[in-house]
Amino acid sequence: MQRNIILIAFAVTLMQPAKLLSQEINWFKLQKDQKHLINVNAGLDYGISFGARYGYHLRSTIPILLIADFSIPSGENLVDDFKTSVGGYINLYQADHFQFSAKILGVFRRFENSYARLLNFGSDMGVAAGYYKRKWFVAGEAGFDKAIVTHFKHSAIYKQNFPSVQDGWYEPATGGNFYYGLQAGLTLKRNDIYLKAGKILTQDFSTTPLVPFHLQVGYNIWLN
Amino acid sequence: MKKAKFILPVLICFLGWFSCKKEISIAQEGNLVPKTVEDDKTLPAISLNGTLLHAESFGSPDSAMVVVLHGGPGSDYRYLLNCKEFANQGYYLVFYDQRGSGLSKRHSKSSYSIQVMLDDLAAVISHYRKSTSQKVFLLGHSWGAMLATAYINKFPAAIDGAILAEPGGFIWEDIEDYVSRSRDIKITSETMSDLLYPDQFITGREDEHAILDYKYSLLGSFDDSKDSPIGNEGPLPFWRAGAIVNQALFEIGDKEKPNWTTHLQQFTTRVLFVYSERNRAYGLAHAQKVSSAYPHAELFKVYGAGHDMLSFPTGWNNFFPVGLNYLNSLK
Repeated sequence: MQRNIILIAFAVTLMQPAKLLSQEINWFKLQKDQKHLINVNAGLDYGISFGARYGYHLRSTIPILLIADFSIPSGENLVDDFKTSVGGYINLYQADHFQFSAKILGVFRRFENSYARLLNFGSDMGVAAGYYKRKWFVAGEAGFDKAIVTHFKHSAIYKQNFPSVQDGWYEPATGGNFYYGLQAGLTLKRNDIYLKAGKILTQDFSTTPLVPFHLQVGYNIWLN
Repeated sequence: MKKAKFILPVLICFLGWFSCKKEISIAQEGNLVPKTVEDDKTLPAISLNGTLLHAESFGSPDSAMVVVLHGGPGSDYRYLLNCKEFANQGYYLVFYDQRGSGLSKRHSKSSYSIQVMLDDLAAVISHYRKSTSQKVFLLGHSWGAMLATAYINKFPAAIDGAILAEPGGFIWEDIEDYVSRSRDIKITSETMSDLLYPDQFITGREDEHAILDYKYSLLGSFDDSKDSPIGNEGPLPFWRAGAIVNQALFEIGDKEKPNWTTHLQQFTTRVLFVYSERNRAYGLAHAQKVSSAYPHAELFKVYGAGHDMLSFPTGWNNFFPVGLNYLNSLK
């Protein structure tokens, strides 16, 4: 039952992306005629990762961006691990140069090594608050990345070690990590470059990921 | 509107399909990792020193005893079962999964110490030993060889000989050096991604051993990857990794900076010190440095094998006659 509620929430998230918005952008500089966001990025996101993002600026009273994001970790095999997100960013509050925004993303990700293949549906929700000028911005960010339901499928090697291993969908949630940090960017005409970095904590606060940090350098270009 | 009419039935079917699937809990013992001796009473076990250890013995109980100590910390003795062959040569082989490792009972992180690991070893020897005249040999691999040395350092007169296979070191500085070299892989490699990427799929509290042990097991794919410097031929067989004991003992080492060489000069018996040809992180220089803590160490290089030289056919076939000769010389 709980899984169904979570899945419905996830589906609703996918169907109503108008509640979402992107955060690594200069909201202050965002013009109504800027409709399409193209982003490329690289950084440290549970390993060295490379990503691309598309954003669509909705015509609404408050700035809203619909987002589709794809990233892969480095490595020789480029198709075995990846993360995709869809959702949006919304600029919730503005007071002169101070801006407060939120994001809600539905996440689908995959991992595979010689022992197992993991498929996961999750969510990534966060807020950012900062100071945005015409040519630069700086903001603090915090969020929660939840691995809501995960499918495990094990290889013959793992099954040689443990023949009774149970393949299938696992719930309740198999994991979750909090993250927080800072981001800063420069804006030139229709271009942003930004850097964001911060720390990752597991949801129980008693254990840490192997690399408890995240880092991303990115470039945005806005098209009409 | 047309899109909504299409999406809604698809969504309902999707949710319906999910609802019909069997739900499985990641925290449940026996789903992703096997149950320990605490939950599976069919497993061979011994109760001692306030814990329950997965343990087996092979050979005549009156013969000279060889206690096999696995590595990790947190691995198990499954990958060392080739050593049963010594039982066919007149030895009494004792295997056990150390506390918090393999199929042995899990404990809280704060309960672990080097002393309790030594007490467990003393209790295992005492449990299986039939008489005070029965000779006792230790055969330790990696961390197991370090544990064996810590024991010999504490009780030099209690052990009649030791086979030590690629211990990281007997002082913390050497251990750190070796561990650092053995994990020297490119940050952009597939192996590195395989180590780091699961952190966003699986997290668990310190007392959720089934989750943490499974996650730690996934890291085992590192050992046989082509990027790994330790040179293994393939994946190691294992029952269940012990994540918390591994973490606890590394943290204790980092805090206490152990030195297990202070009384080794009193151990005048010859020690067989084994290292492998293919482990790029080890090599002759490290073997000479580490083994020099013993007054009489005989070095043997196992050709055609990596760090887990006792587990794969080439390494085992090269090692076994030498190991047997060593034991026979002290029997």
